Amino acid sequence: MLHKLLATVKKELLLLLRDKVGLSVLFIMPVALIIVMTLIQDSAFKSINEKGIPVVFVNNDQDSLGNQILQGLMTNELCYTTDSINGKPANSELAQKAVSEGKFLVGIIIPKGATAAIRKNVTALVNETINGEAASSILPDSVEITILIDPVAKKSFLNAVTSNLREFISEVKTKIMFQTFSEQVAELIPDKEQAPKNSYQKSQIIQYKEIYASNATEKIVPNAVQHNVPAWTIFAMFFIAIPLSNSILKEKTEGSVFRLHTMPTPYLLLVNGKIIVYVLVCLIQFLLMLAVGKFLLPQMGLPALVLGNSMMGIFVLTLATSFAATGFGVTVGTLATTDHQAAIMGSLSILLLSALGGIWVPSYVMPEVMRNISSFSPLNWSLEGFYKLFLRGGGVADILPEAGKLMVFFFATMAISYFVNRKKRTV
Amino acid sequence: MSNPFIIEIQHLTKTFKHAAEPAVDNISFSINRNEIFGLLGPNGAGKTTTISILCGLFPPSSGTVSIDGKDLHSELSDIKNMVGIVPQDIALYPTLTARENLSFYGSMYGLYGKNLKDKIETWLEKLGLIDAAKRQVSTYSGGMKRRVNLIAGILHQPKILFLDEPTVGVDVQSRNVIIEHLKEINARGTTIIYSSHHMEEAENFCTRVSIIDKGRILTQGTPAELIRDNAGSTNLENVFLNLTNRKPRD
Repeated sequence: MLHKLLATVKKELLLLLRDKVGLSVLFIMPVALIIVMTLIQDSAFKSINEKGIPVVFVNNDQDSLGNQILQGLMTNELCYTTDSINGKPANSELAQKAVSEGKFLVGIIIPKGATAAIRKNVTALVNETINGEAASSILPDSVEITILIDPVAKKSFLNAVTSNLREFISEVKTKIMFQTFSEQVAELIPDKEQAPKNSYQKSQIIQYKEIYASNATEKIVPNAVQHNVPAWTIFAMFFIAIPLSNSILKEKTEGSVFRLHTMPTPYLLLVNGKIIVYVLVCLIQFLLMLAVGKFLLPQMGLPALVLGNSMMGIFVLTLATSFAATGFGVTVGTLATTDHQAAIMGSLSILLLSALGGIWVPSYVMPEVMRNISSFSPLNWSLEGFYKLFLRGGGVADILPEAGKLMVFFFATMAISYFVNRKKRTV
Repeated sequence: MSNPFIIEIQHLTKTFKHAAEPAVDNISFSINRNEIFGLLGPNGAGKTTTISILCGLFPPSSGTVSIDGKDLHSELSDIKNMVGIVPQDIALYPTLTARENLSFYGSMYGLYGKNLKDKIETWLEKLGLIDAAKRQVSTYSGGMKRRVNLIAGILHQPKILFLDEPTVGVDVQSRNVIIEHLKEINARGTTIIYSSHHMEEAENFCTRVSIIDKGRILTQGTPAELIRDNAGSTNLENVFLNLTNRKPRD
């Protein structure tokens, strides 16, 4: 039996090595895909996180509110804020024109006298509180800040900017309130030494600290490389379904299957030869993709792929993914009756499973219904496993559920192939 | 005394799914050990279906088949070890060389190592393919492919060899080489079941023939007996045309 298995493996290897188109699909296509997708997504990532969302700021107020919001936005990494357009100070008309032309995604106009209006309101409030003056003189807090929006701006970008804006306004308003309150109190207290100091202005009562919840010893920053390299590698590994199913169909159309079925060699042994070779191909693909992520992408100005802590975990998950992908290819090849059918069935089902599995769009941004469906995609199991290893610093034990599901998928596809093959022969 | 028949077929019927008529319709016959038995018939007569059932490719709808005393249904794996098949279509991998194809198929019959290598070289030499053995089969002529196709079926020296149109579409030289070597194989003890349209070849090659049409056996005997028993026939082709009708078949 071992001789037969080795002969099958040798035959499959030779067939694969002589199929130049098949080889290019297996190795060149995924490398190209990883590079292109990572570059595209990395530049999109940079436009938000490095250079920032382009914002034009019109400060008609020229007082505390306008100045502090401008200062806050300028020091904020999310936005790239300027108060001039083509070297001229920005005004409402210029800002509206620039945003409508797509030069800025967002424009912010602070009206004239905004700080004064807030001060007036606050003073009236303080007087009411301290002196018991009638509230009728209090003006409504009606400072109107205009936000200009480029129609192409994503809702998420806009939300991020407006959220920051609200934060600054709230901060400035609080400061003005405290300042006015302190001044009013100081007037009531003759001993200036006892008057409250404005030290709160410099104090930061609540601070934020961002920590990525990962067990990795090496600092892992989520970026396009960390997401794209495993995602597209899994996609490529499942894409072997096309050459593999073609290899099965060629045996049918070229007549070899007729001879093979009359030989004293079990079906499973013949299929095992294919599985061994294609699992090997998947492992080589994976190594190649890792090398691209680790060594080639940094040469192109992208971050290098960080592998996490567990090489054994990576091996186990890659092996399980390889088996799942191979089993899927065997099933497509068994179900299809022509190579056209196999190509269409194989490519469409992989595209569908990858879309559902979070390869194109992360599953966490999908609607709940799709997220639930996503958890049935083997590509999603594999991707989740690699996220655990590459982003959360997980080990073998952490990815065992994903690896287990992938192996169950493999055995299920093999069982389907076996019974379909038997049924097809019972003509 | 051992059973003189190597193959015994009783009431064999095969009806494919969705087919109105059976492809093989209640046929019974036996094949003697070491004979060259011709299964002759026009297109769609049921020759390939019969051979496919005897090789274990698919089961019959009804009837029994015994091969060398073994039941086809229950002892298929034993039977597969003793038969060889040369299918009508070229069953080879076009991107592999002749040597690589033969090495793979020989291995599937349990041959390996020096034994396998020696057999491959011997047959490549005998059938005039040794110089082309390193070339991919896709570069071969039709006659060369037929010869490799034949070697793949006989490499393991089967007890029974099924030949389904083994010389179709080949030149006279290749056909002669193939027939000569088939006779040699038969002389060494292999029973041959041969299906063909080529009546002159069948008349010279077969020790006994069966003419079938529409899944039924029309007549059976040695070529000489069939010619003698069919008035006005001077050769097997006349017998065949008289029995199967002269109209062209689809």
